[in-house]
Amino acid sequence: MSRKRVILAASFGIVFTYCAVALLAPVIAPYDPHAITGAPLSPPDEDHLLGTNDLAQDVFSRLIWGTRATLLLGFIGATIAVAIGTAAGIVSGYYGGLIDEAVMRILDVAMTIPIFPLLLIFTTFFRPKIYLIAILMGLLGSFQGVRVIRSQVLSLAVADFVVGTRALGAGDGYIMARHILPGVLPLAGVKFVTSAQHFMLIGIGLGFLGITDPSVVDWGQMINRASQNGAMVLGLWWWLIPPGLAVTLISLALAWLGYACEDEINPRLRVMRI
Amino acid sequence: MIEVSNIRTYFTTGFIHRRVVRAVDDVSFQIEGGETLGLVGESGCGKTTLGRSILRLIEPDEGRVVVSGTDVTALSRKDLRRFRPRMQMIFQDAYASLNPRMRVSESISEPLNIHRMGSRADIDRRVRELIDEVGLNEELLNRRPYELSGGQNQRVVLARILALKPEFIVADEPTSALDVSVQAQILNLIRDLGQEYDMSCLYISHDLGVIRAMSNRVAVMLEGRIVEIGRATDVLDRPCHPYTRRLVGAPGSLESTPFTGALDMVEERPGHWVEETAARQGAHPPER
Amino acid sequence: MTDEALLEVRGLKVGFPTPDGLVRASDTVDLRVYPQETLGLIGETGSGKTVLGMAILRLLQPNTIIEGEIRYRGRDLLTLPEDDMRKVRGREIGIVLQNSGTSLNPVYTVGTQIAEAVTLHQGLNGPDAWQRAVELLDTVGIPDPVRMAGEYPHQFSGGMRERALIATALACRPTLLIADEPTKGLDAVTKRGIIDLFSEIDRDHRSVLFITHDIETVEDLATRVAVMYAGEIVEVGGAKEVLGDPAHPYTRGLLASLPERGMQPIPGSAPSLITPPPGCRFSPRCGRACGDCRSEHPGLVEVGPGHYARCMLYDRG
Repeated sequence: MSRKRVILAASFGIVFTYCAVALLAPVIAPYDPHAITGAPLSPPDEDHLLGTNDLAQDVFSRLIWGTRATLLLGFIGATIAVAIGTAAGIVSGYYGGLIDEAVMRILDVAMTIPIFPLLLIFTTFFRPKIYLIAILMGLLGSFQGVRVIRSQVLSLAVADFVVGTRALGAGDGYIMARHILPGVLPLAGVKFVTSAQHFMLIGIGLGFLGITDPSVVDWGQMINRASQNGAMVLGLWWWLIPPGLAVTLISLALAWLGYACEDEINPRLRVMRI
Repeated sequence: MIEVSNIRTYFTTGFIHRRVVRAVDDVSFQIEGGETLGLVGESGCGKTTLGRSILRLIEPDEGRVVVSGTDVTALSRKDLRRFRPRMQMIFQDAYASLNPRMRVSESISEPLNIHRMGSRADIDRRVRELIDEVGLNEELLNRRPYELSGGQNQRVVLARILALKPEFIVADEPTSALDVSVQAQILNLIRDLGQEYDMSCLYISHDLGVIRAMSNRVAVMLEGRIVEIGRATDVLDRPCHPYTRRLVGAPGSLESTPFTGALDMVEERPGHWVEETAARQGAHPPER
Repeated sequence: MTDEALLEVRGLKVGFPTPDGLVRASDTVDLRVYPQETLGLIGETGSGKTVLGMAILRLLQPNTIIEGEIRYRGRDLLTLPEDDMRKVRGREIGIVLQNSGTSLNPVYTVGTQIAEAVTLHQGLNGPDAWQRAVELLDTVGIPDPVRMAGEYPHQFSGGMRERALIATALACRPTLLIADEPTKGLDAVTKRGIIDLFSEIDRDHRSVLFITHDIETVEDLATRVAVMYAGEIVEVGGAKEVLGDPAHPYTRGLLASLPERGMQPIPGSAPSLITPPPGCRFSPRCGRACGDCRSEHPGLVEVGPGHYARCMLYDRG
């Protein structure tokens, strides 16, 4: 198998594994993540694969349960962002004129809003549930990439096959769904993957600052608590490092998937004639 | 029968200095049922815009188009969509005319599906009939456009259009991107199918040889206006207008007379009309 | 022809490696261009004619497989070191590439681009180079050359862009001019203008290799004509002989498919260049094919003075 294929397969494998872990958390995790299970700050042994933290909670179980928060934020946020962004790009590019102008101007303003600071303020003041954070991220992140999708739609909308389908008597909705949307799916795919990665990292960041949903186990929170309690100085590597590694790995996997999607976009549709 | 009356399509460009480009400037003609009218002119004369304006793929600014008794220009958007099957267009670039992601069978069945012409089984059967009519092998049904040649793609486009049994077709240079031998195949196919389906056709091209072979009558377009129109042999062998003369290679001028208002067409010979100024200059052509 | 050939292509094979296999764009091509003649190279898509033109100036991609010889004034161009080859390009052999739309850089004025050619090879600078550019624009028939030299490519019409490209190719007075489809996409009137231009250039003591699929364009211009099919030369000879009374069935079919001459199509379609048909490559579509045609590969055989065809009808024994 070529190297590209190996990386692609590995990335898919990693994402799939994470999803499986998140779904099966209640089954896989040996302990309840909030429960007290033995001596605090003890290193890994046969009972606790990654040892315990300062509250004597099993780190390994917390790691597993933490997958849920991360993936939730990433994927739900990404889905919302892609849905809104793609729809906006398609409608804007297809109709042009005033609609296009309106969307572009809204975009101009919206893209100046920094996502992280705004999220920070919102979560600090309102302490929302994790689902709400995901929705908010999706909304704020939908602006990214709309222009790129719109460009693609602009060139598709005047393609002969679109005009030809209109000449056959197809309505606008049909054309947008059946002909334009498939043409921008690769771009939407890239947006999904990169947004997911971005949101996961932001989620970890929020957790690190301690302002995420406290009822949910979150890797950022774990790192925060560990470093604040001197895990580095005391050499408590099992508490500090695993969450960081976990997020790095999923982040890498998603990045590779994003590149693979981008590759897909280019070559297939062109034929060279000599 | 197709009746085109006083079509005008203008494009405005420029933000501060608005300029009006008269792409189609008061064009009128008729096409009888089953007849092919060839439309010639240099690039930029407006022939493509005219073709699209007639089908309302570009909305004309003024004028009227009547197809088989129905005023197409007065139809609402919804009614227009329902009328569309009866008037179709073939584009120059066959690859661009088909969705590269759709298989041949899907492209051909699409019009039937949009207008809900029959059950899934009926549509499948019709697709097979059509692909046979255009001379393609059934095994190509599962291929995608980039796997086929230009000529084969143009045949798929023809099948797609014929699915709706149109009465009127605008062919916008359908073969200029194809090799000569393939062009011969496609032109023969268009001609045969045109006769079989009894379609009227507006055939747009800049290639005089092709126009001569495909048209009953010929119209010559210059800067948005028709300057000469008549039987194909008349216009191409015994042209009257100086521009037409230059087009066919006879001595004549390429300059156009400035548009100074309504220019009438004068009937030089029965059925052969020429723009008035040329006739006034007494430009009677030498017999070839 | 007793003169020394200006350009002699011998046994040229050009192959493109693709995921589906090796595309044999040219397969053992032998061709000669003599001094002060216009050779028309006719072929359809996939015949290999453009590849041939590009191969002569070594303009193909680095991973292309090229075998054979291309002798220009005695020197084999394929074995020249790159520096020497660069001196040949433009200076001795000029080329007008297809697709005039993308051949000119939209960011620079036309005059600048023509002057660039002169500066590169003849070392003329600034005002001298510009002067030469203006002269060239005038030679190729661009009206008001002084002003047009300062305009940008998008301000030129299709026909004018083609003329500008011809001017660039002629800038250093090359002895051989290769023109690849110079009339493609142009309407009848503009096409005629370009053809007239070429007939004037010919008189300037240079040779022209005119590559096209449009047979009418070479009818008046070419002294000799070569016809390519599926990567091979299938017929070559004097223009009048080949176009008036062609020997090869493909040439016959090609002429018969012209709208003016009856529009009789050739059945079938062009063969795959990865796995060409065995024997004569045209045999699957030839109305006169026989058993031998499908098994034996015919060579180029003389069918008249200076007139050769690659067909089993003539290659007996």
